[in-house]
Amino acid sequence: MKKQYILVLVFAGLLATFNACQKSAEYKALIVTGQNNHNWKASSPVLKQLLEQTGLFTAEIVKTPEKGGDMSTFNPDFSKYNVVVIDYNGESWSDKTKTAFADYVNNGGGVVVYHGANNSFPEWKEFNLMCGLGGWGNRSEKDGPYVYFKNDSMVIDTTAGRGGSHAKRHEFEVKIRNAEHPVTKGLPIHWMHGNDELYSQLRGPAKNMEILATAYADTTGGGSGRDEPMLMTISYGKGRIFHTVLGHADEGGGPAMECAGFIVTFQRGAEWAASGKVTQKIPYDFPNAAGVSIRTGFKELTLADDMAMIEKYDITKSTKYFADLQSRIRNEAKTAQDYQQFEKLMIKVLESKEATDDSKKLILGELSWMGSDLCIPAIKELAKNAGLKDAAEFALARMQPTK
Amino acid sequence: MSDKTTRRDFLTRSAAAVAGAVILPQIIPSTAMGLGGKLPPSDRIVMGAIGTGSQGTGNLKGFLGRVKELQFVAVCDVDTSHAANAKGLIDQINKNSDCRTYGDYREFLEKEKLDAVSIALPDHWHGLIYSAAANKKLDVYGEKPLARTINDSKAIVSAVKNNNIVWQTGSWQRSLENFRRGAELAVNGRIGKLTRVEVGLPDGGRGIGTPPVMEVPAELNWEMWLGPAPKVPYRGVSHWNWRWILDYSGGQLTDWTGHHIDIAQWGFGMERSGPVEIAGEGVYPRDGIYNAPVEYDFNCKYANGIEMRVANASRLRMGMGATWYGEKGWIHVDRGNVLLASDPKILAEVIGENEIHLYKSDNHIGNFLECVKSRKETVAPVEIAHRSITVGLLGEIAMTTGQKIQWDPEKQEIIGNPVASRLLTRPYRQPWSVPTI
Repeated sequence: MKKQYILVLVFAGLLATFNACQKSAEYKALIVTGQNNHNWKASSPVLKQLLEQTGLFTAEIVKTPEKGGDMSTFNPDFSKYNVVVIDYNGESWSDKTKTAFADYVNNGGGVVVYHGANNSFPEWKEFNLMCGLGGWGNRSEKDGPYVYFKNDSMVIDTTAGRGGSHAKRHEFEVKIRNAEHPVTKGLPIHWMHGNDELYSQLRGPAKNMEILATAYADTTGGGSGRDEPMLMTISYGKGRIFHTVLGHADEGGGPAMECAGFIVTFQRGAEWAASGKVTQKIPYDFPNAAGVSIRTGFKELTLADDMAMIEKYDITKSTKYFADLQSRIRNEAKTAQDYQQFEKLMIKVLESKEATDDSKKLILGELSWMGSDLCIPAIKELAKNAGLKDAAEFALARMQPTK
Repeated sequence: MSDKTTRRDFLTRSAAAVAGAVILPQIIPSTAMGLGGKLPPSDRIVMGAIGTGSQGTGNLKGFLGRVKELQFVAVCDVDTSHAANAKGLIDQINKNSDCRTYGDYREFLEKEKLDAVSIALPDHWHGLIYSAAANKKLDVYGEKPLARTINDSKAIVSAVKNNNIVWQTGSWQRSLENFRRGAELAVNGRIGKLTRVEVGLPDGGRGIGTPPVMEVPAELNWEMWLGPAPKVPYRGVSHWNWRWILDYSGGQLTDWTGHHIDIAQWGFGMERSGPVEIAGEGVYPRDGIYNAPVEYDFNCKYANGIEMRVANASRLRMGMGATWYGEKGWIHVDRGNVLLASDPKILAEVIGENEIHLYKSDNHIGNFLECVKSRKETVAPVEIAHRSITVGLLGEIAMTTGQKIQWDPEKQEIIGNPVASRLLTRPYRQPWSVPTI
């Protein structure tokens, strides 16, 4: 009895600690799914996970009836939520539900339109005003112009033709077009996106719409030859809509959803749609022009993860863990103590029997500018090792210049 | 050995003939030299080239186009195919097969009797070879950026000054009308009191991961290519693409510092001084052997209150180039003969006799050759090149450390930050040693 009681107490204590560590979730999110030509069973749990891992959201998934079901039973109370994420491309909702959704947005509700959701409801005028642009579903010039970038300016193109296309999936570069918007502020201007469909030739009313980012649909891959909108914001009544065409889902998510660029812009876009501001920091693994950044399992790495992987580094493996350590030092170290915290972790790598010579070389380069006297004995020890002699001498020469 | 009388021999003998004279810069008015006409052999400048890859060959062709004024007799490159190509170009012009080739600059400098040398090398070699050429009392046309580190850069300046040689940096935009005119209008207050300056340089590009170790091509002396840089196995990255690796270069930022930052400082009278505070951030590749920043954005404060923002072009409204903002408007310059202003009337302004007239050169190589003869200062002298690259390298230090850097442009020291100060140098690998200042 007593034992069980203690266990319960310990458990309650752990739970309390856990809750205290969690940022209180400020916003409620509803993910609407249930029908889609895309793999909604894979994508919607990922979207929920991504929202909740920010610590800002509690998220629920609501499913419409299956195709052919009674759509009148689909009546969520949108007004309970700060943001509604649309992961849906299926049968039309009931007029009552459509009206309730339009009222919700009109009254200041936030919306995230995600990837294939912009294929849905070609007939629903209000929804298309919220999306700004859409594709497929027999969209054509009747639905509005093509909108894209040419020579760094936005083009509204009323040429007749189908709305919606994409070339074969590939990795492509996203270019930020408005770096002052809360969603995009501070992001690299150019970043490589994981293997995805590059949505092209979308058309729609494009009213009150701002394009935050584009990607060039290369003609050599069968693309449109235009800089196509990838991230957009739209205002509808008092409501804010964030529209991302990125993130085509495979089973378990796949590279388009595991791309840190997709994840972070989705999370920031959702916060902005819910609140009009973005408080999230830009993580160290955000991709840039040099290459993609895939967040396996949607998990952001901790410093401990980085250090563990750095130990195992050899020249055939990725340097990303070391690059992230460098970013942490740049961004987080302010005082001498901060630097020493990092230095102590790095000395452990220098002294580790398991750590590779290649990892030690990287660490020696970094310590050469930010190390203190603390690391010198470990470096002198490595200078005895033929394979590390040069790198150790480089570090020592920089730290203890002979004048 | 050369049987030709070099111009330097000629000058030395002439000077020696003047009793008690030190070797003063001998001023021969260019008009008297009959520029454009064929010069007597004793007045033709005897030249060699170190580094004959893409940029070095481009420069060489520029020089060879003025063959009436000069003669190339030798080239040096760690890649025998580069040296052979350059020899081919030279022999064709000289109508003989006498151009000598070297793989080691020390031997080249020891054996050749030259007046001047054209040097185009990866940045990590600049400190040693620019200093060595200056110490041989050769006039130098050297590629920007001046050096890989601020300490190397200082050493080059002192070698050039101590040896009283003529130096021209390959910052050729200084010899174009639109850049000079824009800078001259800005520095003379034609847009009112200057408040800030923006400089847009190229964005970085895609990485290549870490290619496998490869056999070093037979024509390349890899050990000599690396020189003072860390010893690494050959992975197919040497010529041209060295500039994306921090052991050899600072990436697009430092590559272009000698162009648009150089022009920008010209336009607000800071080309022989520098900022007092530098802060900003870079975006770095996360994977592979290319590790120079692909984006960068830093701010430099000057003692006169002007702030200069340096960023990859796609972060700036005006994109590539230099833009001066004053209380009454702006002026923007870029390649492609771009000279724009907030009001076109600004561009029609005449600079009065008593105002600042910037150094006028209409041909960068021609200016160098004229100065070799006249012993006057060139349009892109070593001190200015040094002050230009210092800005880029201080930006690099601010981004590397994530710290706000305080800089004393007089003493040329980082103030109160021994850790960041370490980044003023890069230790050399044995047997090479950092050139002394």
